[in-house]
Amino acid sequence: MRKNNCEVIRQELDELMLSETGSARVVEHLRECAACREFNEKQTRLRQIVGSLGTVSAPPDFDFRLRARLANDGGGATFHFWPIARRGLAFAAVLLVFVMGALVVRSVFNRPQENKQVAATDQHNNTPAPPTVAPTREPTFARPMAESSPERRPQIVRNERLSRIKRPLVAEDFSNERAPVYNGREPAGTFEVMPLDSSLQSFKVSLDDGRGNARTISVPSISFGSQRMLQPVNQYASKRDW
Amino acid sequence: MTVRRVIQLATLGSALLCGAVVLAQTPAPSPKKAVTPKASRTSADKLAAAPQVVTIIHRLNGLKMFRLLLRSEQQVQAIENVDSAFSLMDDVHTNVIAGLAMDDGETIAAWLPEAGVELNAAFPRSPREPKLPRGPVAAFPRMRNGFFEPDITVIGPEGKRVAAKYIGFDAVTGLSILRLTEKNAVPASEIKAEPVNAGEAVLLYSPEPVSRGLGLYARITALEGRIQNVVAAPSGGVARLKVTAPKLSRANIGGVATNEAGDTIGIVDGLEGNEASILPAALIKRAAQRVLAQQSSVPRPWLGVKGEAVAELKLDQILNHGWEMQRAAALAGNHRGIMLTSIVPDSPAAMAALRAGDVILKVDDKDIATAQDFTWWLEQAGPSTSVEFTVARPDKAAEEPVNVKLSWRLDPSFTFNFPNRFTTTRGFSLLEQGIETVALKAPVASQLGTTAGLLVVYVEPQTAASEAGLQAGDVIQSINGKPVSVFKAATQPTFFKFEIVRNKEKLVVTVPVRKNK
Repeated sequence: MRKNNCEVIRQELDELMLSETGSARVVEHLRECAACREFNEKQTRLRQIVGSLGTVSAPPDFDFRLRARLANDGGGATFHFWPIARRGLAFAAVLLVFVMGALVVRSVFNRPQENKQVAATDQHNNTPAPPTVAPTREPTFARPMAESSPERRPQIVRNERLSRIKRPLVAEDFSNERAPVYNGREPAGTFEVMPLDSSLQSFKVSLDDGRGNARTISVPSISFGSQRMLQPVNQYASKRDW
Repeated sequence: MTVRRVIQLATLGSALLCGAVVLAQTPAPSPKKAVTPKASRTSADKLAAAPQVVTIIHRLNGLKMFRLLLRSEQQVQAIENVDSAFSLMDDVHTNVIAGLAMDDGETIAAWLPEAGVELNAAFPRSPREPKLPRGPVAAFPRMRNGFFEPDITVIGPEGKRVAAKYIGFDAVTGLSILRLTEKNAVPASEIKAEPVNAGEAVLLYSPEPVSRGLGLYARITALEGRIQNVVAAPSGGVARLKVTAPKLSRANIGGVATNEAGDTIGIVDGLEGNEASILPAALIKRAAQRVLAQQSSVPRPWLGVKGEAVAELKLDQILNHGWEMQRAAALAGNHRGIMLTSIVPDSPAAMAALRAGDVILKVDDKDIATAQDFTWWLEQAGPSTSVEFTVARPDKAAEEPVNVKLSWRLDPSFTFNFPNRFTTTRGFSLLEQGIETVALKAPVASQLGTTAGLLVVYVEPQTAASEAGLQAGDVIQSINGKPVSVFKAATQPTFFKFEIVRNKEKLVVTVPVRKNK
C-alpha cells in the first residue's frame, strides 16, 4: 500500500515544474517518507541543472538551407550535371573506341595492299622499282557531313570500302541532333530566379519572462509562404467562435 | 608485323575500354542524388501562362520584430540581449510569398502571414463598443521616422521590382490588399469567375528558395493538383475549393491557384494534410473591393459567442444545456441551428440577452444548419450592422426573434493575450493608452545607444500619446518623475509625464490619460 502510495507521489513529483511545490498530500508524504524526499531532491537538482543550461540554437541559415535542400530534392526543378555527364562521357569513350578501331582497321587494310604491290613488283622485276604513287583514297563516307539531311532523324551511313569486308560497320550520325543540356540552374518557366538581398544571419534575442527565467530565441532571417516566425498567442482561436 | 599490329590494336582498345569503364564507375563529386523531375512539377510552358502571379517581399525591422514578440506565445518581460549588430531600424526578417495581381494593374491581393504587425487596433478595446472607430480602422500608422511604413516590394513575373503600399486587411478572408506605387508595372489580368468542377487540374504557384552559391534566391514554382471538392456558398456561388496535391507545405499557403488555361481560381488560405483550401477568385475580388472602398482595413462582424452546430451535438450535450428530453430529441432530430455554449460578457450577444443553451435557428430569415452557414450569413451582414436571429430557448416553447447589433474585430491572432502579458508597469497599463512597450535591460539598452527603460515599439495613431508626440523607438526612462522600474500608481493619474530618450537626447512628453471604460 505504502509502495503504491510512493509511486503516486513520485508520479506527481515528476510532473512538477521547477518553481512549483506539490499538493498538500505530497508535502505531507515528503515529510514522512525519506525515500521520496531523496527522490524529490534528486529531481529538483536535475531540473536545476537542466534549467541552467543555455539554449541550443540551430545555425543561422539552417532553416533556409534545409528548405533549399528539400526544394531541390523534392522539386526536381534542377538537374545535376555530373550523373548525366558521366554517362555521356562513358558513351563518348565507347564511341571513340569504335572510331579509333575503325580508323586503325582501315589503315591496316590499306597498308598490306601497298606492301603486296611492292612485293609483286619485286617478284616480277627483281630490281628496285621506281617509287609508285599510291592511289588517291576515295572518300570514306558516301555523303559529306555538310550534305547530311536537315531532318533530326539519325542517318545510317555506310562505309563503302568497309562494306566489302565480311562484317560491314554501320555508324549513326547524331550530329544534327541537339540534345538539351541541363545544368540545374534554369528558371522554371518565365519566372526569374530572384536574388533576395537579405542576410543569412538569423535574429537572436535573449528574453526575460519576468519570473527569473531567461532564454535565447533565434528567428530565421527569411520565411516562405505562411510560415510564421513566432507563433501568436491566439493562434488556436476556435472556428466556432463568432 | 601483322601480329604486332593486332596486339597494338587490342592493347589500345582495351585501354580505351578500361578508361570508359573507370569513368563510368567514378563516383560523383557531390553527394547529391540525380533527381528526375517529378510529375507534380509543372513544365515551363504551363508556368509561363500565369503572369498574374507576383512575388511579394515583406520585410520587418527590429521594432516590428519586438512588436511581433509581444504578440507571440513567448512571454516577454524584458529584452536581455540582442546580436551585437542589431539595430532597431535594420531589417531582421523577410517573408516571401505569392500574390495575385488584380485586373486594374495596380492592386495586389496576398495572404501576408505577418500582416498583423503592420496594423493598429492591437490593444484591447472594450467589447461594448459596437461602432467602428472614427477614421481608418486599422490603417498602418505613418510615423515620421518611417519605422512603421510597411516595407513591401512586389516582383513581377519578369523580375521587375515595384514598391507597394499597404491599403488594408480584410478580416473576413485574411487577405492583405496592396497597391503598387507604379501603375501597370505588372501584367493586369482579368479575374473571371470561371466555373470550376471537381476533378479539374489546377496549378498552385508559390515561391520557394533556390540554392545558388552563397546568396539567397527565390523563384515561383508550381505544383499540380486536382480539385477534390467544391463547397457551395449558402447564398449561391462557391465558398471554398478543396484541392489535393502532393508535397503541400505551409509554404504553399498564400499561393495562387490557376486552372490549366492560366485563369485565376483563387488563393490557398489553409492546409489540412495533403488538401489545400482555396479561397475562390470571386471572394478575393469582393475582399479587394471592400478594402479599396474604405481605403483601410475591414474587420469582420463579432457577436461574442461560442457554439456548435446542433447537428454535431449528441443528445446528452443538448440535455446538459437545460433542454427537456422531448424537446432535445426533437431539436437533435431536426439538425438545425447553432447551440450557444458560452457568451462573452459585455459582448453584443450578452447585451441582446442571448444565453448559453439558446439555439440560433435563423439569421434574417435564412436557415442555419452548419457552423459554416452561420459564419457566412454573419459575414454577409457585415460588422456594425443589426441582424435578427430566430432563437429557440430551453425554457420557452416558442421560437423568439432577437435583434442584435453586431460589433467587429480583426484577427484574434493580432491581439495580445492581455491578462498574461507583462507589458505594463505596476498599477496601470500603457496598453490602455495605445502605447506598446517592452522593457530593455541595461546591456541591450547601451547596445542600442540608450539606457535601460521601456522601449516604445508602437503608438496607436489618433491617441493622446500619439498627438503628444510619443514615437516608436523612444525609450521611456521615468513616468511622473519616478523610474519606470519602481513606478506604481495607486490611483490612475490624470496625466503621464514621460521622460524619454530619443536619438540620445532627453525629452519630456506629457500625455493626458485616457480613462478606462
